[in-house]
Amino acid sequence: MLKKGQTPAAYLFLAPFLITIGIFFFYAFARAIYYSFTDFNLFNDPTLIGVKPYVDVLSDPSFRRALANSLVFAVITTTLQTVGALLMAVALNNKIRGMAFFRAAWYMPSITSSVVITLIFLWLFQRRGVANYAITQWQTFLPYTLTLLGVLIAAQVAQVLWERSRRLPAGWFDPALAAVSLLIAVAVTAALSWTGVLSARDVAPYDFQYFSDRWISIGGVQILSIPMLVIIIQNTFTTIPTLMLFFLAGLQNIPGALYEAADIDGATPAQKLLNVTVPMLRPVSFYVITVGLIGTMKMFDQVAVIGSAAPRDTLITLAYYVYTNTFKAGAAPVNMAAAAAIVLAAIILLMVFLQRRFISSEAI
Amino acid sequence: MTTTPTLSETHRDAADLDRWLARRRWARAGWLYVFMLVMSIFFLGPFLMGLLSSMKDNPNEYPPRLVIPQLTPQSISKAYSLGVQGAGSGWNGGLTPGHTVTFDVSVRSPADAPQVPPTVALFPYQPTSLVAIARQAQATDYATVKTVQTGQLGEVRSYRITVDYPALTSQQGQVIEATLATPDANLNAKLPSGQTVPITLDTPAAQDKQYSLNATQAVELVRANDQYYLRGPVFERTPLQVDVQRGQSIVSSTLPPSDRQNFGRSFAYRNITPGVLGYTFNNYRRAFTETTNPQTGRSLFFSWVLNTFFYAFLRVSAAIVFCSLAGYALARMDFPGKNLIFVGGVLFVQMVPDQVNLVSNYVLLQDLGLLNIWGLWFNGLVAAGGVFLMKQFFEGMPKELEESAAIDGAGPLVTFFRVMLPQAGPALIALAITQFQGAWNDFFWPLVILRQNTDYLLTVGLVNFRQLYGGQGDYGLILAGAVLSAIPVIIIFVVFQRYFVDTGADSAVKG
Repeated sequence: MLKKGQTPAAYLFLAPFLITIGIFFFYAFARAIYYSFTDFNLFNDPTLIGVKPYVDVLSDPSFRRALANSLVFAVITTTLQTVGALLMAVALNNKIRGMAFFRAAWYMPSITSSVVITLIFLWLFQRRGVANYAITQWQTFLPYTLTLLGVLIAAQVAQVLWERSRRLPAGWFDPALAAVSLLIAVAVTAALSWTGVLSARDVAPYDFQYFSDRWISIGGVQILSIPMLVIIIQNTFTTIPTLMLFFLAGLQNIPGALYEAADIDGATPAQKLLNVTVPMLRPVSFYVITVGLIGTMKMFDQVAVIGSAAPRDTLITLAYYVYTNTFKAGAAPVNMAAAAAIVLAAIILLMVFLQRRFISSEAI
Repeated sequence: MTTTPTLSETHRDAADLDRWLARRRWARAGWLYVFMLVMSIFFLGPFLMGLLSSMKDNPNEYPPRLVIPQLTPQSISKAYSLGVQGAGSGWNGGLTPGHTVTFDVSVRSPADAPQVPPTVALFPYQPTSLVAIARQAQATDYATVKTVQTGQLGEVRSYRITVDYPALTSQQGQVIEATLATPDANLNAKLPSGQTVPITLDTPAAQDKQYSLNATQAVELVRANDQYYLRGPVFERTPLQVDVQRGQSIVSSTLPPSDRQNFGRSFAYRNITPGVLGYTFNNYRRAFTETTNPQTGRSLFFSWVLNTFFYAFLRVSAAIVFCSLAGYALARMDFPGKNLIFVGGVLFVQMVPDQVNLVSNYVLLQDLGLLNIWGLWFNGLVAAGGVFLMKQFFEGMPKELEESAAIDGAGPLVTFFRVMLPQAGPALIALAITQFQGAWNDFFWPLVILRQNTDYLLTVGLVNFRQLYGGQGDYGLILAGAVLSAIPVIIIFVVFQRYFVDTGADSAVKG
């Protein structure tokens, strides 16, 4: 093995990388820390003023809102996307024909830019947009939906009871029986609709304004704004496919023997998921949650694209707070922006550290 | 008394159970497919809705319709033939001098309603552009409109509207398309060859109109006796409005209207000479033509597309060289500080948000005079993610390759470029794809660094679209722009799908 003389070569190979991160990361990081203790406003010569920028930032109501929004967004989105990605990966892990197509179709939201998807979602969630139209239609045809569901459940119960009386081990969610129940339900609903018993309801168009100053509050504390909820839906939609791939890779490493053993013990699919799949995926889940938390805490694009279309407080996040304070018209409070950025970095690093310390140790 | 089942009975029961289980398996597969389809619709739905609506005249129409006239064969063929009538071009459409267009409408006039023909007029259209562009000539100032009744069926009368645009000169000769140049004592035109020539105005009609024409206006000229005569401006669109009296209603027309008002008594047609591009792909064409830079007359959207391709190219080529060098060093070489560089330079860098470095990098690039694509490129020259990907890949390669190279006396550079890099094909493709996608979708740094609207990348430009058309939002244009900007990554994805699925996921799970 060639060992001698590797050090100069290695540093030569690494030089472009080290120079880039040296200038644009470590130097920048150090300078951001320095700025966060000065009175820098982009036009003056910075002078040190101690922790005042941090005090200013922490007492700025708009920073507190940004912090709350970021944390709420990160927690909800990470939870939704992790659970969603796991379920999708389990579904995709079946060996059926046409899987390549489904995999490609599901992956689409992950490859297009966040800007494009945010613009499309802005359009979908307009006051007179497709989302509100879909809700209007849902309300209009609610009698049909309820009838269909009611008949479906009744038919399923009846069939399962009959099968059990024939000593066949039918479960409540037996797929073959459910298919028959669905056919019955469709037929009954169609017949009722044709005879005029069922008809569409007359409802006013649902015109909810999504990008307005509305909040979900608990005990008078504003927790989550409706515009932020739309971004949560959008972000989950775009990140599920990416994270799903990690779970899929993890699933393919689980030995099939475990499932066979579970089958022999007579485990239901739900039991297999909870007792075999989830524990085996712990390391992947740890990775996915870490990536998810980092990504959601950094979230910027969606807020910047929506910009002034929604009230500022409803959407401001830490990343956006840093951006707007840097590019405020006139003398910008860049020192506050730097302080907020350091706080944001500290929160992310703390999250990663806590996870490594307490969750990953038992996972591996 | 209980009876033990006979042999044939248990046999039949077992067969029953088998059949029952088989049925269950089939049904489960069926439900799975239904679920997969529903999820596919969920994941593709927003894109499909956006794509369909980007063709509509009014993407905000409520209730939204799934049947879109822009996509029906009969409307498209009508648009084609109207384009031929107006400009001799079924694809581009427009209205050029010397052409006559006929357009049919039918009006229902019940016995108790007025029986007069509809009022028909051309109306001006000014693009609500990103930047104020010179006022363009309008068809309404040049063409005449005539309405003739052509038939009656019960209460419904049909009318033929004739839009006639006579040429401003009677000279015969070669017809040349040109654009007006800045006028001096004369009206001047810039020919396709780049030559600027004075225009001769030989008729009173042409002399009348000369002061209403601005530079960059597209015109048709006739070349005769070594002189250029003005045939008239060329119009990209012919907007027409049809109004009927109270009690009457418009039943049908050659093309469906773009907008109806006054309870269906007033129809506006955005363009009655659209051609296929102007009809089905109107919003797409607008994205290019209505965003011109006043200084150069070049389409801003087109510049953004070029900028984005250029930036992606720069980033991919830098990543292929520098990320693989760094990844190889971290994976296969021994040197002090290796672990520190990996943890601090690769993992830590990926965790800390870009916003931390925002101020410093902005100030730095501003001081260097690099607030442009080069600065953007320089700022993210070697992506930490790319280094990570290449490190994972090189770690998986057999040691024997290097050993045999070492025995042959090859130095590290030769080993890397001659032995290792040629083996890294698949990883390099994956790296190139992720970097291309990253560059194409990049938003934060371009937003910070690019300050001139001619320098924008597509993502920043699209957001600018939205902010400038603000309020109501010109969603036709926004959706068209969004679809156009998504196409390259989608093509790359469809072609190299395998590599998208391979990147990252496996290595991250192993690591």
